[in-house]
Amino acid sequence: MANNLIARGLKRCSTRRFLLWIAPWAALLAFGLYSAGLCLVEGLNQTNMDNRFAFGLWIFLDLTVIALGAGAFFTGFLLYILKVDELRAVINSAVVIGLVCYSGAVAVLMVDVGQPLRAWFTFWYPNVHSMLTEVTFCITCYLTVLFIEYLPIVLKNRKLREIPTFLVFEFELHKLIYVLAGVGTFLSFFHQGSLGGLYGVLRGRPFAFREGLAVWPSTFFLFIISAAAVGPSFVLLTTWLVEKISRKPLVRPAVLELLGRISGLLLAVYVLAKTVDTLVWINRTSPESGFPAAQYYSWRPFGTWILFAEIVLFGLVPALIMLTPRLRAHTGWLVSAAAMACCGVALNRFVQTIQTLALPTLSFDKFLSYYPSWQEVGTFLAVVAYGALVYSFSFRYFQLFPEERERYQI
Amino acid sequence: MTTTRRDIFKFAGGSALGALLTPAPWRLITDTALWSENWPGIPRPARGEIRAKFTHCSLCPAGCAVRARCVGEQPVSLAGVRGGLCPFGVTGHQLPYHPARLRQGPVSEAMAAVADAIAKCGPGERVAVLDLRPGRTASWTARRAMAVLKNGWYIAPVQSPVAVDLTKARTVLSLSAPLLERWGTPANVFAVRDGFRLIQADPVESRTAALADLWLPIRPGSEEALALGLAGQLTSAETAAMTGLSEHQIESVGQTIGFGRLSLVIDRAMSPAVVALNVKLGGWGRTIVPRAEAPVPPEWKKAAPVTDLAAVPDRSIRVLLIDESAPGEYLPWDAIEKKLAAGNPLVVVFAWSANGYGRYAKYVLPTPVYPEATDDIPPAIDSPAPCFRIAAPLLAAPAGVVTPSEFIASLAGLPPADALRERARAIHQGGRGTLVTYADAKSVPVKEVKPDDFWKALNAGGCWVGQALPPANFRAPVGQALPPANPSQGLVVLATPPAPSPASPLFTKLYQESDLLLAPNCIALHPQDAARCGVSAGNRATLETPNGKWSVRILTDSSVRPGVVLAARPEMASASGKVVRV
Amino acid sequence: MNAQKKYGMSIDVDRCTGCGSCMVACAVENNIPPAHAGANDRNGLTWIRVYKVDNGEDYPGKRSAFIPVLCQQCGEHTPCASVCPQQAVDVDPRTGIVGQMPERCLGCRYCMAACPYHARYFNWWDPRWPAGMEKTLNPDVAPRMRGVVEKCNFCHGRWHAAKQKAAAAGKSEIEPGDYVPACVEACPTGAIRFGDLNDPSNDLRHPDSFRLLKKLGTDPKIYYRSKRDWVRNVAQASRPVSSQKEASHG
Repeated sequence: MANNLIARGLKRCSTRRFLLWIAPWAALLAFGLYSAGLCLVEGLNQTNMDNRFAFGLWIFLDLTVIALGAGAFFTGFLLYILKVDELRAVINSAVVIGLVCYSGAVAVLMVDVGQPLRAWFTFWYPNVHSMLTEVTFCITCYLTVLFIEYLPIVLKNRKLREIPTFLVFEFELHKLIYVLAGVGTFLSFFHQGSLGGLYGVLRGRPFAFREGLAVWPSTFFLFIISAAAVGPSFVLLTTWLVEKISRKPLVRPAVLELLGRISGLLLAVYVLAKTVDTLVWINRTSPESGFPAAQYYSWRPFGTWILFAEIVLFGLVPALIMLTPRLRAHTGWLVSAAAMACCGVALNRFVQTIQTLALPTLSFDKFLSYYPSWQEVGTFLAVVAYGALVYSFSFRYFQLFPEERERYQI
Repeated sequence: MTTTRRDIFKFAGGSALGALLTPAPWRLITDTALWSENWPGIPRPARGEIRAKFTHCSLCPAGCAVRARCVGEQPVSLAGVRGGLCPFGVTGHQLPYHPARLRQGPVSEAMAAVADAIAKCGPGERVAVLDLRPGRTASWTARRAMAVLKNGWYIAPVQSPVAVDLTKARTVLSLSAPLLERWGTPANVFAVRDGFRLIQADPVESRTAALADLWLPIRPGSEEALALGLAGQLTSAETAAMTGLSEHQIESVGQTIGFGRLSLVIDRAMSPAVVALNVKLGGWGRTIVPRAEAPVPPEWKKAAPVTDLAAVPDRSIRVLLIDESAPGEYLPWDAIEKKLAAGNPLVVVFAWSANGYGRYAKYVLPTPVYPEATDDIPPAIDSPAPCFRIAAPLLAAPAGVVTPSEFIASLAGLPPADALRERARAIHQGGRGTLVTYADAKSVPVKEVKPDDFWKALNAGGCWVGQALPPANFRAPVGQALPPANPSQGLVVLATPPAPSPASPLFTKLYQESDLLLAPNCIALHPQDAARCGVSAGNRATLETPNGKWSVRILTDSSVRPGVVLAARPEMASASGKVVRV
Repeated sequence: MNAQKKYGMSIDVDRCTGCGSCMVACAVENNIPPAHAGANDRNGLTWIRVYKVDNGEDYPGKRSAFIPVLCQQCGEHTPCASVCPQQAVDVDPRTGIVGQMPERCLGCRYCMAACPYHARYFNWWDPRWPAGMEKTLNPDVAPRMRGVVEKCNFCHGRWHAAKQKAAAAGKSEIEPGDYVPACVEACPTGAIRFGDLNDPSNDLRHPDSFRLLKKLGTDPKIYYRSKRDWVRNVAQASRPVSSQKEASHG
């Protein structure tokens, strides 16, 4: 392929090897697109969702990838607003991750709704009281911001720079980057929060319902903090992964450590807030709506272990690891902790989506289980494959890690 | 002037911007919305003048009065006139469109074959009509036709000569009779439900048992033993041993229903033992009454007698015509089959679908289905007075169908006169009783109605109600020999109360989209039994009984008596069944 | 100006035989198609659904009851109305009825996740009727397409018809007998009664009656009653009765 597209001073593998790398991802994407196409053409009967499990794998996926993609806004916020300049080393990568996560989530949402052709009704007849309206508005706006933020990365490509207009445009965009970072942060705060609010407002689901501050339930804030905490962890994790896969040092170890420290700090705050929230919920919110909290954990497999895993194992433990300088300095510990933090947030989103829907509310109702159909898994995998492909192409042809050239020794 | 590429881009860009100022894109958005609202393939309900028509539901012997809401001539919903309808009645207007419905059949071929077979009947061989719902005017036609044929027989399940009067009862003891389900007329039963205490003796917690004031979980098949025990023909100890109840329970029930307490004992078909028990309890003329049939023209009296299937000699029927168009009590096919003559007997079934006895017949002839059929419905078991009501058709029957009574009448060369009208005339000439009309909710003595108006009113959903008979000259039947108390090998398969088949496709709401009713392909058993048979809920299994094998899905339910299998299809009922996992 | 109505129901559990008339009558009235071959009890369309409940014991101690559950028309904090992103759900202030506009719905199913009664149903399949059966469709209700959510609206078509009848007669108020939902009309046992909860004369809110999940504070408008203690306990238990985990049937 056009190797003259690769940035000067960077060494990338041969076209052949690159093709070998992307071929399985492309195959996976093709399979996923077929699955999604089936759901669009035949209808959502292709999934294993039902009237009780109105949300399934896809909503879990959406919530998780949007939390993981939070690295884009939070790194931007730290770099451009709080001037943490070390993070320039990963900002481009973070933007690509954000773009992948958000666009993937929106694409899956379009398959997930029964009448995608009417998705625009939300803009036409918005219900301002709905958390989903807030999510829709913020995510679409922020996705636009991400596209604009992605543009300079694309325009810095060697070939594209040859066109003078693009060069000028890129330069102008660059001046805007502070505004974009600010807008992105604002939007992200709201949609991360309103994604949490999605469940927190469900008065009819005492397992998910939370009291709140002003118009927002506590999960609104918990989602913001947890997303901000896990975003840098995910950036750290992907950077480390890309270093391993490409076998190239891409950033200084100090940058990864910094990401870990930020993540650890926020995770600690999150664990504290989540603990307080859980205690309030167990002792007040849930009993007041007629549901002793203990009953939620009497349905196998959802025992109290899940609460322990969410808060301690995948919350407190990685936070402590990342906050301990000695452990943090060790890549193995750091990466493991980051992975654990990501798992913790995924688990939290799983609990919010799946456990909430599995638990019976009516006293004579059954506890129900749900397993995704292959079409749902296929669509899920399409997002993963799409992410891998976009990232691979971006990594190959754009300069995602500005320090790479300096650190490139050979 | 030369056009550059830049110009083209400019033009395109300008056009796009300009288009935004026109209504076109906004219109397009609206059209997308409208298009998504009128998804292709969604039927549009027909519109037209809305009117109400009245008729009677002929799906079961209850014969509920029905008000049909029609768009033009097409009924779009049915409602009861006096209280609600059962789910079968509510969806009756959809039956003509049932996917399993037969529309065409070899009518003339069958006619020729039957005439030929009748002509070739050997000595001692018979032509028989099996009528599943006797007592109708169509039944009279069949009986008259069989009387004309020298070797004709009219076979039908024995009907109880009595009716019950629930309004008078203070205590009702039901021996597995589905009193609150499909036994009497649902709305009438519930109208008086608060007036009596209900004791349900039932091997399973049926729907009636669930709502009874007391449920006595007896052994399957021990209903008659309990009746005899309560009548004093068995000791308490014997009764307890047979029914599985305690002696104390039996004595306590005995005291509750004791003599002269306005008690009523019922079972599914009001068997002689139960009638005898009621008489003994002093219910004759009060809670249980004799009921005459609505008058028939005098010339019809020359009809073939009603013969019980059991009384027919084996291997004696050469030609059997089964009228399945009006469903009633279920008769197992092997009981029918052994009456057929050896060597190619001719069986013709009149039915709405080929799924019933049609499976065993040479010819299945399609009949009109409710609400296309014109028929009358004999009075229900809980109607103390005789009555005459017509299921007036709401819809025209399709061209290919045949009315069983017309087919049978033509075999015997009876004139194709309108038997229902003749009978209405006879009732009118009798001059007794009243005419009840639903449209105006009036009740008029028949004497004050002109014959033509009477006929018209009956066709517009009117009902003639006669007078109850005075309770004289009743000879109590003698209690019969006891059923053998057999410790059954295997599981006892009980069928839920028979459904007035066919059922609308909408019944998926009740057993596919919810688990309210037992689906036809499901059986339920106690979790212990399921474990013993090596099956668990949701498994596929085979139910094996002496009557046949069925592929079924297993449900477990701890309200089913251990040792009992609950099935929805009457043909599955058996005293010894086996469940084998597939 | 009309007086505000607050339509509600009273369901006598002790009279419900679980026959299913209400469920099929509802489907007839509201043009709900028969199930697709692949449908099951979790993805069918049953705007009113009769649950079989029991006291958790084994034969012969087991006792069963039938509880019809339909949209409870929550009057306060209506869980489904506030979550809909595009105002496809509203509470009519004139009647207190929670309305659903399938033509506005995009099928996100957030309302279904929000409903504690599982009284909302999604069209997982294209609606299909057996050939010819579409002739029996009710002209007052538009069939829905796949991919949208629907639910009980107390037979909105009947309310409209009653309104028109009243208007034609020059009245501003509906005669109570003119507006009766299909399930109420169909119930052979008279277990379901319907009326204006603001009208004290109809005794719908009997002091002995209870409401499902009342503690959630959503002011449901379906009142249940039963003289049987265990039924009241099971229906209002704070914890689901474990024996409900097994498959139940009729």
